[in-house]
Amino acid sequence: MKKKPSLLERTRAYGFLLPCILIFAIFLFYPFFKTIFLSLYKTNKMGQAKLFVGIGNYMDLLTSSSFYNSLKVTLIFVVIVVVGSMAIGLLGAVLCNKAFPGIRAFSTAYALPMAIASSSAAMIFKIILHPSVGILNKLTGLNINWVSDPKYALVCVAILTAWLNSGINFLYFSAGLGNIDESIYERASVDGASPIQQFFHLTLPGLSPIMFYTLVVNIIQAFQSFGQVKILTQGGPGESTNLIVYSIYRDAFFNYRFGSAAAQSVILFVIVMILTLVMFKIEKKGVKY
Amino acid sequence: MKKKVISAILAAALATGVIAGSAVSALAADADLNGTTIEFWHSMGGVNGEAMDYLVQKFNSENEYGITVNAQYQGEYDDTINKLKSAQIGNMGADLVQIYDIGTRFMIDSGWIVPMQDLIDNDGYDVSKIEPNIAAYYTVDSRLYSMPFNSSTPILYYNKDMFTAAGVAEAPTSLAGIADVAEALTGNGGAGEAISLGIYGWFFEQLLAKQGLQYVDNGNGREEAATKVVFDENGGALNILNQWKTLYDAGYAPNVGRGGDSGLTDFAAGKSAMTLGSTASLKQILKDVNGKFEVGTAYFPSVTDADQGGVSIGGASLWALNNEDAAKQAATWKFVEFLVSAESQAYWNAQTGYFPVTTDAHEEQIFKDNIAEYPQFQTAIDQLHDSAPEYAGALMSVFPEARQIVETNIENMLNGVSTPEESVAAMAKDINASIEDYNLLNE
Repeated sequence: MKKKPSLLERTRAYGFLLPCILIFAIFLFYPFFKTIFLSLYKTNKMGQAKLFVGIGNYMDLLTSSSFYNSLKVTLIFVVIVVVGSMAIGLLGAVLCNKAFPGIRAFSTAYALPMAIASSSAAMIFKIILHPSVGILNKLTGLNINWVSDPKYALVCVAILTAWLNSGINFLYFSAGLGNIDESIYERASVDGASPIQQFFHLTLPGLSPIMFYTLVVNIIQAFQSFGQVKILTQGGPGESTNLIVYSIYRDAFFNYRFGSAAAQSVILFVIVMILTLVMFKIEKKGVKY
Repeated sequence: MKKKVISAILAAALATGVIAGSAVSALAADADLNGTTIEFWHSMGGVNGEAMDYLVQKFNSENEYGITVNAQYQGEYDDTINKLKSAQIGNMGADLVQIYDIGTRFMIDSGWIVPMQDLIDNDGYDVSKIEPNIAAYYTVDSRLYSMPFNSSTPILYYNKDMFTAAGVAEAPTSLAGIADVAEALTGNGGAGEAISLGIYGWFFEQLLAKQGLQYVDNGNGREEAATKVVFDENGGALNILNQWKTLYDAGYAPNVGRGGDSGLTDFAAGKSAMTLGSTASLKQILKDVNGKFEVGTAYFPSVTDADQGGVSIGGASLWALNNEDAAKQAATWKFVEFLVSAESQAYWNAQTGYFPVTTDAHEEQIFKDNIAEYPQFQTAIDQLHDSAPEYAGALMSVFPEARQIVETNIENMLNGVSTPEESVAAMAKDINASIEDYNLLNE
């Protein structure tokens, strides 16, 4: 016969959870609800809620071409960054999966972007991309104003970000490749599969669990990109690189319009949440464990 | 992990309220200043920061009152004013803070400050020592609200070697004049471009002042808080943009990017024959050019040669905060007085390239040596003296945002997204909306 657990035993678990819940409440739930609250107000120069406008901030945003532009450039940016950084990471990992002399130096080089702060990388790129003294124009003989021309600015910032994010992807993919059983490659070779067939039919499916994880992380990371934009373009030229996180920063800490910034945050939250939910739905079908 | 990103975003949106202090406290006598420590926030980094640290240390070791100044670098001007807004909860902020020119209206309206005039009157300090055209910027309702400290004006830098090769004797005095000599400079002069003209809101404001026109209503925001911009009605903005676009379309002034320093690289690299920049950049430019060619300086250009106006100053000033502590307030004044003394200002000018804000600094040997070594600096002084207090420039609470709006719309015009007329209309609409919001919420 089992003894009925005492009150202490039954509630003990909650005691252990308490510190975690407290931290969550202070740093997550409170800011979350405060943001929703602020998004319903217009704020004064101190950022205090001053005038209740209901969904006014949202209506302003949804009728503002500048906000749709932010959404558009953010989506383009995220696509370039996610595809680019995963492709670079995967390529590097596959290349470094073979043992050969100097492999450590190559692995380190591919993983290195992970260790570079986005702001310092942006400073370096600013010099590389400078139209008259930058090395890129000097080497290619082109005369393109990379970050001041709306045609190139977004792509430049996105490629920089893709490269920065590729380091961690390289690491994930390397770990994922190490988990694929070598013997299946041997069997495939005996069956006459070409390296390309092996890659698409063995390597990629074998990587699919880690691939899914990196995809989710990369999308979220790309949405968060900020330092590069702040240093390279400040959202310009025009508004061609005004990513939504940068736009939130500008509204909140530059224009002191917290209401609008909060409303943008809420919309970004909804977008990221929907994306994540959709991805987890797809995961059930596409990922083979 | 999705929560992580969201929480990061939410946290960013969470900086909140501030409660303003009030009431002017009485000033303490000199006697009980011993042991007083004051907090001083500034935005001087790099070479300028070292000069600032030197002055603070000098004051700390030499002042006879036993005052200690604790100077803290708070990042760029924007960072300092933003940190001040957050720190004013519960008076945890500074006693003296360096705020940029365009934060002036905000500081006056904030209710956190003691007007510098009160401290001046209390001490009987002779204000006439301060350069009148500098003091004019910080004077509202005939009271000096803050003490000018690091002031600069924009000037035209030009490559004398290119001008000689091109056979151009004089530096142009207007944007139209730049167009006239541009072909010669890029032809015989060997320049890649006539002028590297950075897209910078401050230049736009100066070009307006050079036309003698105002930026906002209510006496350029000086009699009362501004309610709308007037640069659209008075045609000033359109003049600037049309002329700018002419230079751009002809290839004389390509788009070199945003910000006050964006044109300097091309100039120092010997690509452009001219650039616009702050006087405070003189040292840096000479260092970058490193004797490759002779650097000339001239007055900041007007839009056309018919314009009758002057330049206004930029830079930052020192604001005394009201912390209801008489001893600290008195100590703050002693420190301010030290910073604007002839000796300190001459040193500051020689180290940084900002103006000496007081005329008596001109008598110091260190100033004379400096001007002998860098005769280009004389242009800046003459230009300042040739201006007049009525061109002191606008005051507006939403100035930082207005600058961004102006820059964005100039960029759009250069990139062919909008015509000059559309750009001016868009500037006026956006800035007016922002002023209206601000006035509604901050009565």
